[in-house]
Amino acid sequence: MDHHQSSSEVTVHHAPGGKEVVQKIIRTTVILSVITLIELALGLGMYLMPNASSALILFIKGVIVILSLLKAFYIVGVFMHLGEEIKNLIMTIIVPLLLFVWFIAAFLLDGSSWRNLRNTNGKSKTEQVVSGSKAEKITPAEGH
Amino acid sequence: MSIEHTTTVQESASLASTHDHHDGHHEHHHEESFISKYVFSQDHKMIAKQFLITGMIWAVIGGLFSVLFRLQLGYPEMSFPILEDLFGKWAAGGRISNEFYYALVTMHGTILVFFVLTAGLSGTFANFLIPLQIGARDMASPMLNMLSYWFFFLASIIMFASMFIQTGPASGGWTIYPPLSALGQASEGSKLGMDYWLVSMAMFIVSSLLGGLNYISTILNMRTKGMTMTRLPLTIWALFFTAVLGVLSFPVLLSGAILLLFDRNLGTSFYLSEIVVKGEILPNEGGSAILFQHLFWFLGHPEVYIILLPALGMVSEILSVNSRKPIFGYLAMVGSLFAIAILAFLVWAHHMFVTGLNPFLGAFFVLLTLLIAVPSAIKVFNWLTTLWRGNLRFTPGMLFAIGFVSLFISGGLTGIFLGNSTLDIHLHDTYFVVAHFHIVMGVASMFGMFAGVYHWYPKMYGRYMNNTLAYIHFWVSLIGAYLIFWPMHYQGLAGMPRRYTDFSNWESFKQFGEMNRFISTVAMIVFVVQLLFIFNFFYSIWKGRKVTTQNPWGANTLEWTTPVRPGHGNWPGEIPEVHRWAYDYGKDGRDFIPQTEKISDSESKH
Amino acid sequence: MAQAPAAEMETKWWSGGKSPFNVEYGKLMMWYFLMSDAFTFGAFLISYGTIRFSQNFWPDPNKVFNAFPLAGHANLPLAFVSLMTFILIVSSVTMVLAVHAGHHNDKKSVIKWMIWTIIGGIAFLACQAWEWTHLITGDHAVMVNGVVEHIGTTVTRNPWGPEVAGAMHDGHHLTTTGPVAFGGYFFGITGFHGFHVLSGVVINIIMLIMTINGVFEKRGHYLMIEKAGLYWHFVDLVWVFVFLCFYLI
Repeated sequence: MDHHQSSSEVTVHHAPGGKEVVQKIIRTTVILSVITLIELALGLGMYLMPNASSALILFIKGVIVILSLLKAFYIVGVFMHLGEEIKNLIMTIIVPLLLFVWFIAAFLLDGSSWRNLRNTNGKSKTEQVVSGSKAEKITPAEGH
Repeated sequence: MSIEHTTTVQESASLASTHDHHDGHHEHHHEESFISKYVFSQDHKMIAKQFLITGMIWAVIGGLFSVLFRLQLGYPEMSFPILEDLFGKWAAGGRISNEFYYALVTMHGTILVFFVLTAGLSGTFANFLIPLQIGARDMASPMLNMLSYWFFFLASIIMFASMFIQTGPASGGWTIYPPLSALGQASEGSKLGMDYWLVSMAMFIVSSLLGGLNYISTILNMRTKGMTMTRLPLTIWALFFTAVLGVLSFPVLLSGAILLLFDRNLGTSFYLSEIVVKGEILPNEGGSAILFQHLFWFLGHPEVYIILLPALGMVSEILSVNSRKPIFGYLAMVGSLFAIAILAFLVWAHHMFVTGLNPFLGAFFVLLTLLIAVPSAIKVFNWLTTLWRGNLRFTPGMLFAIGFVSLFISGGLTGIFLGNSTLDIHLHDTYFVVAHFHIVMGVASMFGMFAGVYHWYPKMYGRYMNNTLAYIHFWVSLIGAYLIFWPMHYQGLAGMPRRYTDFSNWESFKQFGEMNRFISTVAMIVFVVQLLFIFNFFYSIWKGRKVTTQNPWGANTLEWTTPVRPGHGNWPGEIPEVHRWAYDYGKDGRDFIPQTEKISDSESKH
Repeated sequence: MAQAPAAEMETKWWSGGKSPFNVEYGKLMMWYFLMSDAFTFGAFLISYGTIRFSQNFWPDPNKVFNAFPLAGHANLPLAFVSLMTFILIVSSVTMVLAVHAGHHNDKKSVIKWMIWTIIGGIAFLACQAWEWTHLITGDHAVMVNGVVEHIGTTVTRNPWGPEVAGAMHDGHHLTTTGPVAFGGYFFGITGFHGFHVLSGVVINIIMLIMTINGVFEKRGHYLMIEKAGLYWHFVDLVWVFVFLCFYLI
């Protein structure tokens, strides 16, 4: 039986390796597990340092985000075999994802702008900042 | 058998699953049952016709709705007893009730934007033209292609059903902004009709996803030998970018719709905060209605180009064929399509300048929005230079294509006004906006669709449509479109707001009573002329003048190398090989040179 | 045998008559479908981020997710979700081994690894069911309008608010209610992800049955397993970001 299904479009099949592929999978599994453990350690670290400065917290969170992107890279590149595809295919998948940059930036910027508006417009500023939910509880009554 | 490396140099680009089809094509053709040929057909040409005819039915419904609400706007003081006979409580006393008016406007927008100009336009022409123009037997997956239509059909049924429930269809505008759309107690149209709307749109998104994935993989994978990407007709490029836009933007609407369904039915507060309805304080807090607008317009703006791009592509092709000249600046045309497709994703918030968007952020959106003028201007320039000193043949398709260019210019220019956030403070939610998007997106895309139908009708049905009726259709539609929408610019500049049922008791807008009546009258005439088109369409299927030659327009593209009425599989023999681009018109003293002809040594270079 | 023509074709990927990416259309469609689905999840997670950015207070995941089955009230922050993450990574590994076995037309290994993948998927769903149940039914004492109430985490209530200065209850600092969007997004997004896991398990079961029936053996290739694998890894990929957004930062 030949590769009937794919023969019309696909010319050369990937040559699947033997042992070295399994080794690569195991190596990737270890990497993913280790990264996850580091992430957890950092997450717990933030929990154990309740008095850490907000800049440090932000830095740790940034590191965690980068580590997650690294995990995504390994899952897509090795497990999903994207790394072995033709470069143009990789580009057609990676390049559109760049739209996420402006997607995320614009949404989050507007989100923090709403917080600003909520905290500064119409309501008692101090009350809002001390406890968001407490002040919001009062609002409907005021509005009424 | 070794899987290690199997090298197969194939003879055709056809797909294995259709192999069996076209190999046994001649034997099986006559055995096809009615169901498998006309209903659950997997032939891309039949699916295209299904999309087209369903779209036409929707267009009549959507158009009729606009006639009804124009009746109200043009003759607010008159009563039409027939309306009460037809619509009962919705038009008590022969006058359209406020709820009914909003339902009509909402459904008009939803139907025309999604069901007619998305499914009806790109569904029709992507299905019909992609395999024929790239030289493929069918779509990559005919099965998913069929499902794409039937999901659209299901969406249609649900939307249609929503018009017959007691509380009426969704009526919060086609953009269904919460909190109005999220709260059933806020209006009749936010009750069950809104859930129907959301479920219908979810089905529609599935349909457009199945279609879009198919279009993309077909264009990439199934091109015939020699059909490099730069030899593709511009229609295919446009349909390709349309599919990409759909695949990347519709899922965002799906997310937005799911969150809205949760807000409506599960008591979540994604879009709701601090709301009082009819004296009742709602417990929802912490959400933001603007979030929905962001999600909606992240789809909504690309959606505008999903509607427009197929028309841009078809018009390019039709202008070139009927000018007997190569398209001017082929690569610039592809590049500008690409630029428009990218910018489509970056500008969504220009629909939200005055809704509470951070003004600082708005500045970036202004900049990105105004950038769209650049590729648009390139396209207009190239169309005009294609027409320049051409041997123009004024076929109905050509007339509609030229009409499209005219409308694209007039409608596009007002976009520059609206793209400025400061001008938008004055112009938002006025008839200026209505005029702008109706001309540039609505009417222009309809013209592109008409151009496509008239131009490819001989390929679809093996007959011509009646030219006299087509000319009447064109001139009344073009003049009518300008007479309807040109005055609206003045109304909008004067501050006349959208979505009001009656302006007669407004001191500032009373003066427009006559103008409104005029617009409404023209709208009705134009609507009747569209019925003439539909008559022409169906009459010509059976009674139209028969096409006798394979290539009636003398065009270069591959669809005209098929038999007059191609069967399933498109080419009876081998799929032709391609040797040149699609635009060798008037070259070396020859009227046209089909893509299948080899480049001879004596040929000049283009 | 492949060398000569392959080299010749290297330069003409786009000339038509073949896939420019050397993949069959099904795999191409699966990739682009996943890209589309990435935008669905992206939109959910970005909405979540946007609402979170608009709040003055957001619950600390270490406090919310600190329970473990059969561990009583022990404070074990993030332990259970680590287990869930580990289960999903392992099931991704078994899936990639199934795909690898498919490349070698090794039916027995494909069946073995598919069964492990399905077990992993079901285990993950079971964990999620437990976590949901625990959050919804686990009552917490909360100060609501000056009165102490016991509420669980649902899409409409959130007990994880900021602490009320000076108020104590059973030796804990008493809190007010937190932003309700927390529960809405948590259950909405993990639910949508769970729905993907569920459909992935169903797809994998179908693939398993087809493998056992020898469908792919007759076809001569296991490309369907590969496509199912892509979907399954995508589910894992999404979890990386759900894990990031809800549990870590």
